[in-house]
Amino acid sequence: MTRSIAVAVAIARKDLVAEWRTRELVPALAQFVVLALVIANFGFQIDSRSAPAIAPGVLWLALVFAGLVAFGRAFAAEREQATLEAVLLTAAAPAAIFAGKALAAGLLLVLCEAVLLPALALFFGVPISFGLVFAVLLATVGMAALGCLFAAMVAQLRARELLLPLLTLPLWIPFIVAGGQAVQVAMGADGTMDQALKLLLDFDILFVVLTSLAARFVLDD
Amino acid sequence: MTRYLGAAGGAVALMLVAAALIFFFAPTDALQGPVQRIFYLHVSAAIAAFASFAVVLVGSVLYLWRDSVRADRLARAGALVGVVFTTVTLVMGMLWAKPIWGTYWTWDARLTSTLVLWIIYAGYLLVRRLAAPGRQAARFAAVVGIFGFIDVPVVYFSVDWWRTQHPGPVIATDALPPEMLFTFLFTMACTLMLAGTLIAIRYRIETLLDKQPLATLVPSPLPPSGAALRAAPPPHRVGRSGEVKAP
Repeated sequence: MTRSIAVAVAIARKDLVAEWRTRELVPALAQFVVLALVIANFGFQIDSRSAPAIAPGVLWLALVFAGLVAFGRAFAAEREQATLEAVLLTAAAPAAIFAGKALAAGLLLVLCEAVLLPALALFFGVPISFGLVFAVLLATVGMAALGCLFAAMVAQLRARELLLPLLTLPLWIPFIVAGGQAVQVAMGADGTMDQALKLLLDFDILFVVLTSLAARFVLDD
Repeated sequence: MTRYLGAAGGAVALMLVAAALIFFFAPTDALQGPVQRIFYLHVSAAIAAFASFAVVLVGSVLYLWRDSVRADRLARAGALVGVVFTTVTLVMGMLWAKPIWGTYWTWDARLTSTLVLWIIYAGYLLVRRLAAPGRQAARFAAVVGIFGFIDVPVVYFSVDWWRTQHPGPVIATDALPPEMLFTFLFTMACTLMLAGTLIAIRYRIETLLDKQPLATLVPSPLPPSGAALRAAPPPHRVGRSGEVKAP
């Protein structure tokens, strides 16, 4: 168990160091999420009255598509260098390797959220509360688990860019439903934050357990 | 071969009997009029779709557990039939909704989750198409098949969990008069039998396809170049289930 954790941390550290050295993904994604807000402004004709109704949707749309890119990239470098096979040939458990990849990709998405949330506060007047940040982080956990599982799968397929959103988005819907509820509550809608957070936590547990069980079948080939 | 023809003929005949019951035996609904007759096939098709996806789940788990090619074929057959019945459910529901609700579609919890179900299993079929035939396709599809089944209880319980416009269960609540109940139960049994027959036939087709050499199934995207053909070793036959046969 401690060995698996050490493997996961080592893999995550490797991915984060690689990202720190190139600094490709996070700046590009940060720019993408800000650009998504600009596009939303034109698409929805946002003014100060309509902003509270539209902001939750914009947040999750930007986050979901940034997530798709982040998780897709998690396995792209491994594929280009054919390093995944080498890592899999070691004695490390595939589930631990997968956890490390998901951890690193999730942390990179958190960095994007650190840009997205202040940008939403600035441009859309979303109040950044503790509950809202917590909801986004909880959603990131489950989204990273599912996103990396299917990213690992499509990295080995033809037409991978096409298939990743098709497989991932339907299963992300629970996080968007509960996360959207959390943002609406934060912006003054009816309902309680606790209920949304509890739902997010339930789905996190479900999908983290399921993906760690399934990782073996996706990676070990 | 004749066995499958007989089963298919029997299933079609039963569906015709069910159609006769729906149109001539079941009474016309007092509020909705003749449109209500869609209900019998709509709900039956939904249940048949759930059952087909349950077949996918069982086949997928068995495949990952036992590496059984048969279980994988069963999952393949179930997914295709399930997508067909989900399509029937959605189309029938939309035809009913237009006169009753005044719109073909509303973003209701049950409608949305059913549409998501369709998308998930259409994705399952796409994975099968895009993965390398054999072990990889079977494994990846099995993972999608297991994750996708999470949506089936969501569709089923959506009328309890959210406020929805979709009518709730009518059987358990004893809301149907006996003629309607009989027609519904008969149609449901026939539809389930039709789904079973379709899965059996598709299973047979998948078995035959597995025995075909790969080259005849997947056309190469590139025209073979003369030099490459001359340099290439004699062709090996690769079945869809992945085994390589020497020429």
